[in-house]
Amino acid sequence: MAALVLPAGILVSLLLVAPMLLLFRISLNEYSPTEMMVEAMSAANYLRAVADPYYRSVLGTTLAVATGSTLLALVLGFPAAYWLARMQGRWKSLATILVLFPLLVGNVVRAAGWMALLGNGGAINAGLRGLGLIAAPLPLLYNTGAVVAGIVAVVLPYMVLTLSAVIESIPRQTEEAASNLGAHPMTVFRRVVLPLALPGVAAGSVLVFVLCMNTYASAVLLGGPQFKMMAPAVYDQFVRGNNWPFGAALAFILLGITLVLTVAGSAMLGRRYRRRQSEETT
Amino acid sequence: MNITRRATLSTAAIAAAAAGLPGIARAQAKQVVVGTWGGDYGELLRQHIDTPLMGPQGIEVLQDVANADPRKTKLLAERQARRGTFDVACLSDTDMQMMAQQNTLDTLDFGRLSRAGSIVPALRKPYAIPHIYSALVLLYNPDKVTTAPTSFADMWDPKYRGRVGFSDILYSTNTFAAAMAGGGSFSDYGPAKGKLMELRSLDAKIFPSNEALAAALKGEEVWMTPMWLARGYMWQKAGIPLRHVVPKEGAYAILFEAALPRNSRNKDNAYTYLDAMLKPEAQTAFADRMGYLPTVTDATLPPEIASRISLSEADQARLRSPDYDYLTRAHSEVLDFWNKQFKG
Repeated sequence: MAALVLPAGILVSLLLVAPMLLLFRISLNEYSPTEMMVEAMSAANYLRAVADPYYRSVLGTTLAVATGSTLLALVLGFPAAYWLARMQGRWKSLATILVLFPLLVGNVVRAAGWMALLGNGGAINAGLRGLGLIAAPLPLLYNTGAVVAGIVAVVLPYMVLTLSAVIESIPRQTEEAASNLGAHPMTVFRRVVLPLALPGVAAGSVLVFVLCMNTYASAVLLGGPQFKMMAPAVYDQFVRGNNWPFGAALAFILLGITLVLTVAGSAMLGRRYRRRQSEETT
Repeated sequence: MNITRRATLSTAAIAAAAAGLPGIARAQAKQVVVGTWGGDYGELLRQHIDTPLMGPQGIEVLQDVANADPRKTKLLAERQARRGTFDVACLSDTDMQMMAQQNTLDTLDFGRLSRAGSIVPALRKPYAIPHIYSALVLLYNPDKVTTAPTSFADMWDPKYRGRVGFSDILYSTNTFAAAMAGGGSFSDYGPAKGKLMELRSLDAKIFPSNEALAAALKGEEVWMTPMWLARGYMWQKAGIPLRHVVPKEGAYAILFEAALPRNSRNKDNAYTYLDAMLKPEAQTAFADRMGYLPTVTDATLPPEIASRISLSEADQARLRSPDYDYLTRAHSEVLDFWNKQFKG
């Protein structure tokens, strides 16, 4: 049976593990403007990134945007996922396709659409000016709101599909039983559906949070030149600054923090779910 | 089933065969891979060089389209590789100098270029041919900026608060303009720091791309920007109200060059391509459409175009080459300051 893992294993080690090891080695080198990089074994790049208030604020923005977008996707996605999970018959597959539909459009194309909508000469501003409601265009683009809106539009299908798969596995009878015993619909949601859907909440949030932490296109195109998140900062160091060692160190800091937070987050939700289950069985 | 030696070997053989296939397919035709920008530049290469000049010689031109930064990164990443992606790489003079210094380019054998004798002598480098060039100017909207500016320093006039725009991708050029306005020089961008922060408090606007800046100039959201004259010409043609001035502090010319990476796989075809880039007919097309000046002495421009994009002798006297060594050394610091302080 182990041989079944071999093709995927070889592919992953060739295309993911090997480049990552190389990148980690590069992150320990020193930058040189004339020779690009000098072989070294030092943690200087990591220390510089951590000590620099600029990169700390970039990391802060990234964490805030990723957390906010994940929560928003959860709040918006849960009702839709519930509706999808409880749907019956032939409309269900159509609805699933509709949820998937946004994934058919690439991130960049989607962001370009948002730009056409939100820009100073974009559809919304042009419409409002045409109606005489505003004199000067509203600054809808190049701010945190535009980035969060762009990201949520990208990640929402992942959240909805992950949640609905889990909600589907919750027997409908449990909700009916609660209602029969006189529980208000909100109580049913809070005491029955949500606790049982916790594994889905954890899986969806982890997936979405990782995607949000690594946002590039939405941050660059909708956030504008003054909005900084980690992925564009990494790109800046590699491609504009030619400083590969520092760019690699930033990439590993982003990777490390994302990893720690997702592991901690899912462990916390997992513990809560198990505790509730054991409470119910005892 | 356990992992057997045979299973491992056959999987490895499949992987090796799959990896080898593109190489077999590639070795057949007579080709040249040109790393270039897309948009107008790539299209003009296709219309005026690839099809009419290279096609009849039986050489197929493949464009590898990207912006300059990814192209530089690719050249650097492939430095140690025996076979590189590009046979010809197109870059601006500053970038090309940086790439030459990193030992990614061949020293050209000008004896293999039939057009070598026509190159404007001042534009010639050992590692690249000049393709087209333009000058750094200050563009302004004459309807809004009624007193014609004469220098970069005019951008700091409080009258124009919030009306000066910058293209984010031209951070190095913008920093140069600020340095010159603050009494710096081609080899000292130090004074730019104070001047940029001053301009920041005057609400200067930064746009993510040249196109976004053009849209803001068109909508009269901003009135002034340091830019290439050629861009100004294109934008004027597109109906944006603009005039230009070569600032009295002095400015530099931007030169777009083409070179041969050391690990180019089709060097003969690459030389043929460089030669074609220097043909007068190929060069005048770029002047007409994009406003760039020819780099060969025997390309004549139609008078109406020449009058709009050529530089007077007084203008030319204010132009100098950038200090490439200084730029290579200061580049990281310039980018850091731009990102962290000016934009931060």
